[in-house]
Amino acid sequence: MNSSKRKEKTEAPLNFSGQPELESPSFIIGWHLDAGRFGEGVIDYLNRKLGGQSFCEIEPADFYPLRGVAIEDGIVHFPESIFYACPEKNLLLSICTPPAYEWYQFLNLILDVHEYCHAKELFIINGIVSLSAHTSPRQLWGTVNSAEFKTALSLYNVVRELDYITPPGQRPTLNSFLLWAAKRRNIPGISLMVPIPFYMVAVDDLKARRKVLEFFNQTFDLEMDFSDLDEEIRRQNQIMYEIRDSFPDIDQSIMRLESNLRLSEEESQRLVKEIDRLLKERRD
Amino acid sequence: MGIRLYKKLKLEKPDLVASWPGIGNIGIITVDTLKSQLRAEELGEIEPWDFFYPRKVIIRGGVLEDLEFPSSKFYYKKLANKDLIFFIGEEQPADGGRLYAEGKKAYQMANLVLDVAERFDCRRVYTSGAAVALTHHVLKPRVWVVTGREELIKEVKSYANTYLMGEIEGSGERGTITGLNGLLLGLAKKRGFDTFCLMGEIPDYLSGVPFPYPTASKSILEVLTKLLGVEIDYGALNEMEVQIDGIIEGIYEKLPSEVRVRIEQRKSIVQAKPEAITEEDKKWIQEHIDELFKKEGEDRGPS
Repeated sequence: MNSSKRKEKTEAPLNFSGQPELESPSFIIGWHLDAGRFGEGVIDYLNRKLGGQSFCEIEPADFYPLRGVAIEDGIVHFPESIFYACPEKNLLLSICTPPAYEWYQFLNLILDVHEYCHAKELFIINGIVSLSAHTSPRQLWGTVNSAEFKTALSLYNVVRELDYITPPGQRPTLNSFLLWAAKRRNIPGISLMVPIPFYMVAVDDLKARRKVLEFFNQTFDLEMDFSDLDEEIRRQNQIMYEIRDSFPDIDQSIMRLESNLRLSEEESQRLVKEIDRLLKERRD
Repeated sequence: MGIRLYKKLKLEKPDLVASWPGIGNIGIITVDTLKSQLRAEELGEIEPWDFFYPRKVIIRGGVLEDLEFPSSKFYYKKLANKDLIFFIGEEQPADGGRLYAEGKKAYQMANLVLDVAERFDCRRVYTSGAAVALTHHVLKPRVWVVTGREELIKEVKSYANTYLMGEIEGSGERGTITGLNGLLLGLAKKRGFDTFCLMGEIPDYLSGVPFPYPTASKSILEVLTKLLGVEIDYGALNEMEVQIDGIIEGIYEKLPSEVRVRIEQRKSIVQAKPEAITEEDKKWIQEHIDELFKKEGEDRGPS
């Protein structure tokens, strides 16, 4: 182990490693493990483009069983919840692993960092599973925690008139829980959701990322150049085109989705499995 | 993490009757029937967000209006000789998807309930729940009792159909009352309250079914109302009992005949030494009970 790179760990739930230089920043937070690897993809991109520097993390011991470690595609996934500062664009960023329990305490730690940095508003991003085809344009849905904040967002191209009550047998998302917790602390917040085609849930949905990144680019005047992301989207589209061309049954299924028709459970499962496999194969 | 009381009031020598969901929802039905029959009023609640994940979000016109959590509420009723406080928890605060609470959260929740009992100077704390027994569903459920002190045993045993937990054949002298219905009892004793737990029998083959077992709640209520010195009307509970009996009979008829024969023997010998259904039978029932319940539901059609 390289001791110079080893971080000092404390027992406190928030572990600070630096002092961010921010002035009433806006705070953007995403979640690991959401649909289309959306949160991770967006926060990574922002960090890369805007030179985000980590300064704080949430200690995991109180929030996850920690019985071992998850491995996916040969890579270790340990729960982590890290905060980054982008002083040049005055943004506070975070990517968190959803807690397994002690949700309210965890969400309040996020809001503690918000207050510590004197952030003025909270943007929570999340990919949600959709039955639409990957060729349909991505929409950006927004739910706010105050009517005033809704008015402030009226300039942007966000679907803001959502009516929703959790159906029986389901539970609200962590986004809703965080938005509600922020409201209790008088923090204006918006949950931004992009529907992800169900067969892209386990892979990178680059078009969905582009959609919310465009929103942040416009909202915060970030002047980000998306040519690299556009090239990746072009490549992904090309692979999807080739898959459809080589596998008529996959093409048929996607065509049905494009015509707003439903697939059977069996067809859906097969599409998910095959797209996941083929996208990974061809990307490599 | 805290308690929110809706009103300031003084109660006279109240007793606390508390319950959380458990097998057959026997305890919850017991307390809910008492609360409704006595027309108890809301007294307060335990703030839920530290204990539970929310169960419903309400969004209108793009604005998050509310987030609903499982409730943990107190009710009260002023009576001529002694007042009552009821506590009903809609869910047990369980980490990691467990059905019954345990550990830190359970301990915190139980202590908050007892904080209210202490604030109103309660003397007694009652909990109720299920006693899984080698019995038959047509037999009247017996009420297994546990108290915090030996002196209380005589009082509770003076009522018909009550049995000390250790007296029941097969229950053993030692046992455990799982979840918060049990933990509250232990903590209440530790904090100096007189404690009682009344458990209504549910046949072992029905302990995993996804519907309530009001027959056992009725047995508990027949004892509990006497202990509390109140009278209630059993009409609504009787109606529920008839409805559930119909479902149980429907399922029972579909059990393999060799299992039914073994269970039928209990009718005559349950009070002496009942015969357990074999582990194999138990496994069969557990594996098929959802299927049987579903079939029964389909046969009866929507109600």
